Amino acid sequence: MDYRERWELKDYLFGQVVERRIVLVQVAVTLLVLAFVFDFWYLQGVHGDEYRVLAENNRLRRIPLPATRGEIFDRERRVIASTRPSLDLLLRRDADPSLERQLAGLAPILGEPVDALRRRLEESRSRPSFEALTVKEDVTLAELARIEARRDRFPSIEVRQTARRHYPEGRLAAHAIGYVGEVNEARLQTAEDTTTLFRGDIVGKSGIERAFDDPLRGVRGWMVASVDSLGRQIGDSQVLEEPGHGAPLEITLDIRMQRALVEALGAEAGAGVFLDPRTGEVLALASTPAFDPNRFADGLTREAWQALNTDEGRPLHDRAIASAYAPGSTFKVVMSIAGLETGTIHPADALYCAGSTVIYGHRRLCWKKGGHGRVDLERALAQSCNVYFYHLGQRLGIEPIQRYGAILGLGAPTGIDIPGEEEAILPSPEWKQRAHGEPWYPGDTISVAIGQGLIAVTPIQMATMIAGVATGRLPRPHLARASQPAPREVAISATTLETVRRGLEMVVESGTGRSVTRGGFTVAGKTGTAQVFKRSAGIDADELPKAERDHAWFVGYAPVDNPRVSFAVVVEHGGHGGTSAAPIVRKVLEVFFGEEAPAGPPAAPGLQAARSLRREESRDRPTAAR
Amino acid sequence: MTGRRLLASLDAPTILATLALCTIGLVSIASATAEHGGRSGLWKMQLAWLAVGIVAAAVVVAVDYRLWAALALVLHGLALLLLGFVLAFGREVGGNRSWLEVGALRAQPSELAKWTTCLVLAVYLARRVRSSMGLRQLGEMGLLVAAPVGLIALQPDMGTALIFVPIFATALMIGGVRWKVLVGFAVLALLLAPVGWTHLKAYQKERILTMFDAERDPSGVGYQVRQSKIAIGSGGLVGKGLFAGTQGQLNFLPAQHTDFVLSTFAEETGFLGAVAVLGLFYYLMWRGIVAARSAQDRLGTCLCMLLVVWITGQMAINVGMILGRLPTIGVPLPFLSYGGSALVAALCGMALVVNVRTRRFVN
Repeated sequence: MDYRERWELKDYLFGQVVERRIVLVQVAVTLLVLAFVFDFWYLQGVHGDEYRVLAENNRLRRIPLPATRGEIFDRERRVIASTRPSLDLLLRRDADPSLERQLAGLAPILGEPVDALRRRLEESRSRPSFEALTVKEDVTLAELARIEARRDRFPSIEVRQTARRHYPEGRLAAHAIGYVGEVNEARLQTAEDTTTLFRGDIVGKSGIERAFDDPLRGVRGWMVASVDSLGRQIGDSQVLEEPGHGAPLEITLDIRMQRALVEALGAEAGAGVFLDPRTGEVLALASTPAFDPNRFADGLTREAWQALNTDEGRPLHDRAIASAYAPGSTFKVVMSIAGLETGTIHPADALYCAGSTVIYGHRRLCWKKGGHGRVDLERALAQSCNVYFYHLGQRLGIEPIQRYGAILGLGAPTGIDIPGEEEAILPSPEWKQRAHGEPWYPGDTISVAIGQGLIAVTPIQMATMIAGVATGRLPRPHLARASQPAPREVAISATTLETVRRGLEMVVESGTGRSVTRGGFTVAGKTGTAQVFKRSAGIDADELPKAERDHAWFVGYAPVDNPRVSFAVVVEHGGHGGTSAAPIVRKVLEVFFGEEAPAGPPAAPGLQAARSLRREESRDRPTAAR
Repeated sequence: MTGRRLLASLDAPTILATLALCTIGLVSIASATAEHGGRSGLWKMQLAWLAVGIVAAAVVVAVDYRLWAALALVLHGLALLLLGFVLAFGREVGGNRSWLEVGALRAQPSELAKWTTCLVLAVYLARRVRSSMGLRQLGEMGLLVAAPVGLIALQPDMGTALIFVPIFATALMIGGVRWKVLVGFAVLALLLAPVGWTHLKAYQKERILTMFDAERDPSGVGYQVRQSKIAIGSGGLVGKGLFAGTQGQLNFLPAQHTDFVLSTFAEETGFLGAVAVLGLFYYLMWRGIVAARSAQDRLGTCLCMLLVVWITGQMAINVGMILGRLPTIGVPLPFLSYGGSALVAALCGMALVVNVRTRRFVN
C-alpha cells in the first residue's frame, strides 16, 4: 500500500485555496457553454430559415436542357442543314489520382498524343466546376467500343450524346447558309435577352444561320436535380421547362441550281447570284472558293481558323454580296436607261464610230480598231460600242447616271436577309470629295460611262438591277421563303425598258444568236469586262498572267418573254465574259429550265453559247485614255 | 478495495453521460458517411474503437489512481518516446507526421501524451507545490508540458498542441501561481505573437484571417466554415431528421465525420440536439468538479481539474471552430469525432475522473 501513503491528504487550507480556483473554472466553462448555446440559437433559431434556403440552393441545381437547332430546307424541302448526334468523351472533375494514367490509356485509342488531350482539358477548365471537361468531341463508334471494352480502366470518363450541326451538302451553299460556332463574348455582352443565351451555346455566325439564329436556335429548357458537392446528379430530376426546339426554316435556294452554279464556277474565284426577278427569291447564291461549314460545327482548331482567315483565296468572304467589282460594259444598261429617260438620246439617234474619239482633249479608244461605223442605241448595246457611250456620258453628266443607277438599286445594299452585304460605290461629285478629297473631273464621268473608274457594284446588286430591267419592278432579294417583300416600282417608262430589253436580246442574238437559244429558252443579257490593270487594255487576255486578267461579267435574265430568272455572274480574272462567265450561266439555266446537257458532244449548247458570246465579248473591251 | 465494492461505488451518471456522447458520435458518423460507398463502414470501425476504449477505461478505473500517479513519470516518458518515434519514422497524413502504425492499426501518440501530461502535472502539483509557486516550480512544470508540446508542434499539429495551453494554465492556477506571473505570461505571449505570426504558414494565417471575415474566401478556407454554418443553421430547431441532412450527406460539409461531426448532428437534430450535446459536456464538467471536490487527497483534486479542463477545453476549441468563432485548426470533438486513439484517450481521461470519484473515501 506504499503508493497510497505517499500522497498527502487535503488539509483545510488547500481546500480553501483550491475551491476558489475550482469556482473560477466552473464560471468560465459555464459562460463558454452559454455562449455556445446562444450561438447555436442564433444560427438555428434566429436565422434557421435563411440557412435552410442556402442548404437547398447547395443541393438543388438547375441543369439546362439544350434545344435542337431547327433544320434548313431548300425550296423543294431538300435538307441543307440538319442536326446529327455526336458522342463526346467527357472527364468528370473529381480529383481522381489515376487521371494521368487514364489519359495515357486514352491517347493511343484516340490516336492523339497525351499532351493534346491535356491541352484540350485545359481549354475547357473555365467552365463551371460541376460540368465535366471535354476530352474529345465526336468520337467514332470504333473508338467508343475500344474504350467501353476496358471501362474499368477509365473510371472518370463519361460519354455524352450531344447534337451537332450537320450540312449534308458541305461547302455547296456555305456563304448563303453560313455556319455555327460557340457564342463569343461580344455577342453575350450585347445579347438583348440574357436568359436565353449562355456561355458555350452554339449560335449562328454568318449567313442564314446568323440572320435567323433566334428562331433556329430555339430556347433551352431547364430541369432541376439534386446534386452532391461535386455536382454529381443524385436521385430524381424534374423538368421545369421543356426546351423549345428550333423551328425549321425553308429557304428559297434550289439546291440543284446551286450545285450547277458551284460546279460551273469550279476552281475559279468568283460569284454568282440567280434570282426570281418577280419576287426576289434567291434561287442560287455562290461564292468561290468556299469553305466547309461542317468544320466549324465540329469545332475548328485555332490553327485551322487562322489558316481560313489568312487564305489568299479568302474562302470566308462572300463575294456574292460583299465584293465590289467594276461593272464594266454591263453598266451600259444603266447608261442607256439614263440617256433615254432624260431624252438625251432617242433609240433611232445614231452616231459614227471611227474606232476612237477625242473627249476633253484625251483620245479614247473603242475596242474595235476599225470602228463600228454607224451605231444606234440597240446596235451600241449589242456591239458594246464604247464611243457611243463616251459621248452619251459626256452629254449626260454624272448626275443623271447616278440618279438612274440609284433607281436601279446600285450604290446601296439590296437588303438581302443575310448579314455582311456591301453597299459598293455609285459615285457622285460629293462622294468623291468626301472619300478622296478631290473634285469631280469630267473625265471621271467618261470612265464611269463604260463601267470603269470609280464605280463598283456587287453581284447581288447586278442581279437585282437586271431583274428590275426585266420586270419593271425592283425586287428585294431574300433567302427566307416565308418573307415576301414587295418589289419596288422603278421610275422608268415602259418604252425605255422595252428599248433596252431589245438591245439586251440583241447582245445574245447577234452573230450566232440562234445557237444560244437552241436549247429551247431565250436569254437576254449583257457581258462585261472589268479592267483590273490599265495595261490590260488592248492586249489579248489569254496572253496575260492570270492575276492581271480582267474580271468577266455576265448579267441578264431568261426567258426573254416573261422572265423567270435573273442572274449576275462574275469570274475574277476570267478574261472574256463570254468564255468564262457565260458558260456558267448557261449550265445553271439548263438546270433551271429542266434540260440537262445532251450526252453527245459534251456541254454542246454551253460551248456554242460561249463561242457566240466570246465573239461579241471580244469587241467589248473598254479602252482607257492614254 | 474489492472488485464488488469497486463496482458498487462506480460513478454511474458520469459513465452513462460519456457513453451517451459516444453513441451520438456513432450515429453522426454513420449518418455523415452514409452516402459514401468507401466510407460507409466507418461507424463500425468507431464502434470497434469504442470497445477498445471501454476495455482500456476499465483497466484505468481498476487500478488505483495513486498507482497510476506513481507510474506517471514513466508513462510520460513513454509518451515522449513515442512522439519522438513518430517524428522520425511516423506516417505522414495530410502534411502531419503524427501517426504511429502497427500493422493495420494507426494511433496518434499525441493523444496518449494529453493523458500522461494531465497525470504528471497533477503529481507535480500534489508533491511539490505548497501554498504558492516559485519560479523553480514554474520552470519544472513548464518543462513537463513543453516536451510533448514541442514534439507535437514539430509534426506539425498546431491544433493538438493548442490543447495543452488551457491544461497548463489550469495547472498554474491550481498551483497558486501569482497573478503577476500569469499577467507576465500573457504580456509575453502578446509580444511574441507577431514573431509567431511570421512563422505561421500561409494557410494557417489564412485560417486565422478567415475567423474575422468568414466571407474572405468562400471557396477556400472560408468554405468549410461557411458550409458548417449552413449545415448548423439549416437544421433549425428540431433538425432535418437523422440521415436526412443534405449538407453532411451530400458532402458539402468537409470533414463531416471528424472535426465537423457536431455540424452534421446539429443539422439533423437541430438546436435541441446541439444543446443536448453541450448539456452532456457541461454535465461531465460538473461531475468532474464534484469528483475534484470530494477527492481525498490533493492528487485526486488536481487530477480531476486538469482532466475536466482537457475535455471541456478541447470541446470548446472544436465547437468554437465549427461555429466560426475560432480558426479552423483541426481539433476533434471528444467522444464524437471519428478517430480511434482520440476516443480511447478521452475515455481513459474520464476513467481517471471516475477512478478518483470511486476512491473518494479514505480507505
